[in-house]
Amino acid sequence: MTDNITGWLFVSPAVLLIFIFGLFPIGYAFYMSLHTWRIRQGAFLCDAEAGDLILYVRSCLKHYETVVLGDWGGAALFVVGLVSLLVAYLVWTRLFGSRSETPFALLRIGAGLVIMAVAFALISEGYNTMISALPKRDQGFLNGLQITLYYAFGAIPLQLILGLLLAYVLFHRVKAKSVFRTIFFLPYVTPTVAAAVVFGTVFSGRATSPMNQLMSSFGWDVQRWLAEPKPFLNVVFGWDLQGFLAGPSMALVCVIIQGVWTYTGYNAVIFMAGLGNIPADLYEAARVDGASEWHLFRYITLPLLSPVTFYLSILGFIGTFTAFNTLFVMRSPATQGTLDTSALVIFDTFREQNRWAEATAQAIILMLLVLAMTQIQRSLFEKRVFYG
Amino acid sequence: MVDSVVLQQPSAIKTVPEKPGTDWRRYFGNGVMYAVLLFFAFLALFPFIWMISNSLMTIGETQVRRMFPSVPQWGNYAEAWDQAEFSKYFLNSCTIVGITLAGLLVISILAAYAFGRIQFRGRDTIFTLLLVTLMIPQSVTLIPNFLMVAGKVVPLPAIGTGEALLTWSWENTWIDTYAALTIPFMGSAFSIFLLRQFFAQIPYELFDAARIDGAGHFRFLVQIVLPISRAPIMTVTLLTFIASWNSFLWPLIVTNSDRLRPITVGLYNFTDEAGTRTNLLMAGALITILPILILYFLTQKTFTEGIATTGLKG
Repeated sequence: MTDNITGWLFVSPAVLLIFIFGLFPIGYAFYMSLHTWRIRQGAFLCDAEAGDLILYVRSCLKHYETVVLGDWGGAALFVVGLVSLLVAYLVWTRLFGSRSETPFALLRIGAGLVIMAVAFALISEGYNTMISALPKRDQGFLNGLQITLYYAFGAIPLQLILGLLLAYVLFHRVKAKSVFRTIFFLPYVTPTVAAAVVFGTVFSGRATSPMNQLMSSFGWDVQRWLAEPKPFLNVVFGWDLQGFLAGPSMALVCVIIQGVWTYTGYNAVIFMAGLGNIPADLYEAARVDGASEWHLFRYITLPLLSPVTFYLSILGFIGTFTAFNTLFVMRSPATQGTLDTSALVIFDTFREQNRWAEATAQAIILMLLVLAMTQIQRSLFEKRVFYG
Repeated sequence: MVDSVVLQQPSAIKTVPEKPGTDWRRYFGNGVMYAVLLFFAFLALFPFIWMISNSLMTIGETQVRRMFPSVPQWGNYAEAWDQAEFSKYFLNSCTIVGITLAGLLVISILAAYAFGRIQFRGRDTIFTLLLVTLMIPQSVTLIPNFLMVAGKVVPLPAIGTGEALLTWSWENTWIDTYAALTIPFMGSAFSIFLLRQFFAQIPYELFDAARIDGAGHFRFLVQIVLPISRAPIMTVTLLTFIASWNSFLWPLIVTNSDRLRPITVGLYNFTDEAGTRTNLLMAGALITILPILILYFLTQKTFTEGIATTGLKG
């Protein structure tokens, strides 16, 4: 009984704060998104006169339609496309159970590929329908999603691979291990605004910027780096791809480099802790059986590290989807919006355009996406993750 | 230089016994390994080296191809400090970090202790709810929080307006107060989680012994738990310090003037004013980073280990 009181007494300040500033705002954001709200609260959007339930719900979610999704049909196609991707994955791993004979494997791969192609067609069709239904000034959020995806898929795999490489090398046999660890971890503790200012100068488009000096000392052309809105594939290889395939802008690649710089050391430190948890006798046993270094790495280290990898990749996704400071400092009019991830678009809708309700609608969608992605990652990789 | 050291002393193997191989092979492997490590260490350090060296150059030197200044211009720091009014921003940052840290430590240690060691009704439900907040993007809570701090959603107690400390009304706003900059960050689900993991591992026999001596939960927490929990508390302190020193977006929104804004905002404003004066800008960046760097180098062992062990339990 007294434990009940003491317990609640101890947790109440924290719970109160987290409830007020962490949980309640989510509900309130949703409430805001159902109103007109230009600095002051305005009318409730739900139209009581609406003919049927569908029209009624649509009127409530007007902001979601006018600034985020554009076209419900397109959004539906998009979602169906995402679901088909999942189906493709399931076909890949589950079809015909455990039968490993060649014809079954081929069939599995073939069917998976076909479904995946359909999925991508649906996703791109849905996305195009959605974005073309929106007026020009409201296309930012969807474009921002695409930019966020480039950012995530550009930065996270590199961060993980380099982090693992460093951790592996450091862990096994190195003198001055802690010196290296201190150095690699340094970028993570550096205030992001200051780091972004430094990178902004290093990657500045001026001919005298460090990157350009390095380029010209190798005899390469001077680049505009952070001031270059053109896709980097176009700049570097001259490819002129359209749509999603066009890839991130040169400016975004600079930001990705900064992201990799920041988080590789952090990943390495966590990976090292993970390596420390792998029992040494596993390696010994495998060595006795004649396994090579590569085999040890492939069949012991990698699988046993998978919970760590999984944890870091989820953390990375949440991080890139919500990143703000770096991009805010590094963007300039010259980047022509190619650094405006969804988080920045939300800020602009709120701060520059004073469309508060629309901004909350965008934020809610972003939150749902983050939650869905972590959930999908969890369900996809749970099976592959090996927990001791 | 490091390589020569390696050549004299072949790697000492503690954890993993190695397959016997020819010596030159091992030397070569070690050489490659150290080369890789040194290369990455250089990449990690390069922005810092470049920042420090540029902060000591004249304007002319920053524009030509030089790696190091001919004569260090120590005056750049003083000039940047004065020009960007860093004394004001610096003090603001210190105040914000100090208040946040003090509040956060008291609040999260109490909560973590209760979640880890006291059986009370509803504990697990509440704890799960707290963990959910870890995945919520700041964008979602930003606008409602801003409205709340502005006093438009719930009535707030007046703070820092010279009136009685706890008058509740719809008119009170926290805009442009330290309360707005600090109080929302005192309830940190992550810190609570991190401390709880540690507190929960403390053997129950200890508490039973304390109880026989007549101590309640609070005394046990203060006299026994806190002294043995230096490492996790240190980790929380450092993480909070960094996050708080790093804060940028929120101070920008909940303050109207530069009066209370932290050094990150000061540095950001300075990017416009300093324009192409790279040397001053880099001096400013160094001033912003320095407290964190010093703190990190003094405590890096506790810190990296704290991160490593707590990170895994996520």
